[in-house]
Amino acid sequence: MPVDTKRVRGPEVSQSPSLFLCKTAANKSFTQKDARVDGRQRGQVDVRSVFVRCGLISQAKGSAYIEAGNTKLICCVYGPREMERKDETDMKSGRLMTDMRFAPFSCRERGSWIQGSDEKDLSLMLLESLRPGVCLHKYPRSQIEVNVMVLENDGSVLAHAVTCASMALADAGIEMYDLVLGCSIRQESATYLIDPTYLEENGCNLASGSGDNFGSLTVAFLPSLNQISGLQSDGEMGEDILTGGVRTCIEGCFKLYPVIQQALTKAVRRKAPPSES
Amino acid sequence: MATVQVSEAEKVYILHGVRDDLRVDGRGCEDYRHMEIETDVVSNTDGSAKVSLGHTDVLVGVKAEIGKPRPMVPHEGYLEFFVDCSANATPEFEGRGGDELGVELSNTLYKVFNNRSSIDLKSLCISPGEHCWVLYVDVLLLQCDGNLFDAISVAIKAALFNTKIPKVHLSENEEGGKEIELSDDPYDCMRLNVENVPCIVTLCKVGYRHVVDATLQEKACSVASLIISVTHKGTITCVRKVGGGSLDPESIFETTETGKRVGKALHAPLMELLQKEENLGKKRPKVGFLG
Repeated sequence: MPVDTKRVRGPEVSQSPSLFLCKTAANKSFTQKDARVDGRQRGQVDVRSVFVRCGLISQAKGSAYIEAGNTKLICCVYGPREMERKDETDMKSGRLMTDMRFAPFSCRERGSWIQGSDEKDLSLMLLESLRPGVCLHKYPRSQIEVNVMVLENDGSVLAHAVTCASMALADAGIEMYDLVLGCSIRQESATYLIDPTYLEENGCNLASGSGDNFGSLTVAFLPSLNQISGLQSDGEMGEDILTGGVRTCIEGCFKLYPVIQQALTKAVRRKAPPSES
Repeated sequence: MATVQVSEAEKVYILHGVRDDLRVDGRGCEDYRHMEIETDVVSNTDGSAKVSLGHTDVLVGVKAEIGKPRPMVPHEGYLEFFVDCSANATPEFEGRGGDELGVELSNTLYKVFNNRSSIDLKSLCISPGEHCWVLYVDVLLLQCDGNLFDAISVAIKAALFNTKIPKVHLSENEEGGKEIELSDDPYDCMRLNVENVPCIVTLCKVGYRHVVDATLQEKACSVASLIISVTHKGTITCVRKVGGGSLDPESIFETTETGKRVGKALHAPLMELLQKEENLGKKRPKVGFLG
């Protein structure tokens, strides 16, 4: 694993103060009937309201910014550009390259600028989620670069990254079959929490709840084609709980759809030349 | 992953066959290829296993070392996975070529084991907050013929079953600090309970149906696959969609059900086989790598 030699991180034995903080927070037990911290309901499709805006970065071909609760992400799209590697055997279709990074100040603990394996994994999943939506056969021998930067991580980062990236692709004028929307869910024994915050995502590990069905699930969905382009889950769940979770995420995506469409039409209107009057 | 070039005519042939539940090598859609498992093949490790599934060969070695527990969970040990795609498998893996695939496989393994019941991590604790057992699970891909995830997960389960962790006890030394002492008897060791270790089932979507244990040719005909990791009770610990295509939600639900059924059925014969091999003890004829 590459080590960051340019920065002084403090002595090896030092520990982050947040480790000592967590012990007091864990004593508060989350009972099933509590409302969630930000006032949303458990067991209902209550996604956080999003603020989206396209066309922020003038240098990029397309860009988008999304804010959902405290999660803030920005995405830029560059391309189509000529492909760098000439030895590609499959020249008939273009290539999509994704890169997802966390800013060091985005999480509770300072991250490193060097890409860890988590980020590589998320970039790969972002690629798999976006690929079915983009008409790559229309861009032979080209590559399209999608770069997502997480400015603040307050939960369901991958889901919002997928939404943000597909908006940026649309803003860049890349031909797509449909927008790809992402939604994630956190399963906690009997109920689920849709669009979890960071604390909700990670707090469960400290809870001493027994029994099964603790896990999280992220789904990337193409609404008008009714196709799932990305699916990822971990934790342990029964098959019916998993199926229910996927259906709930699909509902969450349908709720987001009109908002994203509206933001895109606004962006197009802004870019369009002023009408002759 | 190593790929083969498949012509359009071959694709159509494979698709039509799968539609009628008959694959190129005569299997049904839910049948695995011939699988051979052998444990305790590498003597320098604490546990090892070699699995060949068709022409895919995977070697897993488990080494137990004493380390410091993670700060958030002082009462538990942990597992570290590393997958190495050897250049023996295919020339594409030469140099750094296999790194990407290796990272993808390791990350999936971390997700699969990221739950409370797969391995009893509390049994790996020696002294809370100070010492714990860290199990380094190293996977080596020797030959690549499709379906890497399944072979790797079976090999990991077999290697963890075979792992013998030495028993240690803490004692006070003269200055009052704690010292770890190994027991004198080399056969006095702790075994892991691998009942709940999940097995991964990869289902490739070929045409309108899903096939288990796809060969490279069948993989070339599919655009998307679903990786499901199932325990013996039928709980699903990880689901991932891989590949550049999209899947219909209904087909995902059907696939998950098939995967759960196939995965659940894999555990009982596997544990039986591992127990039988264990019971043979010293009299077991070692096959090793040339068998």
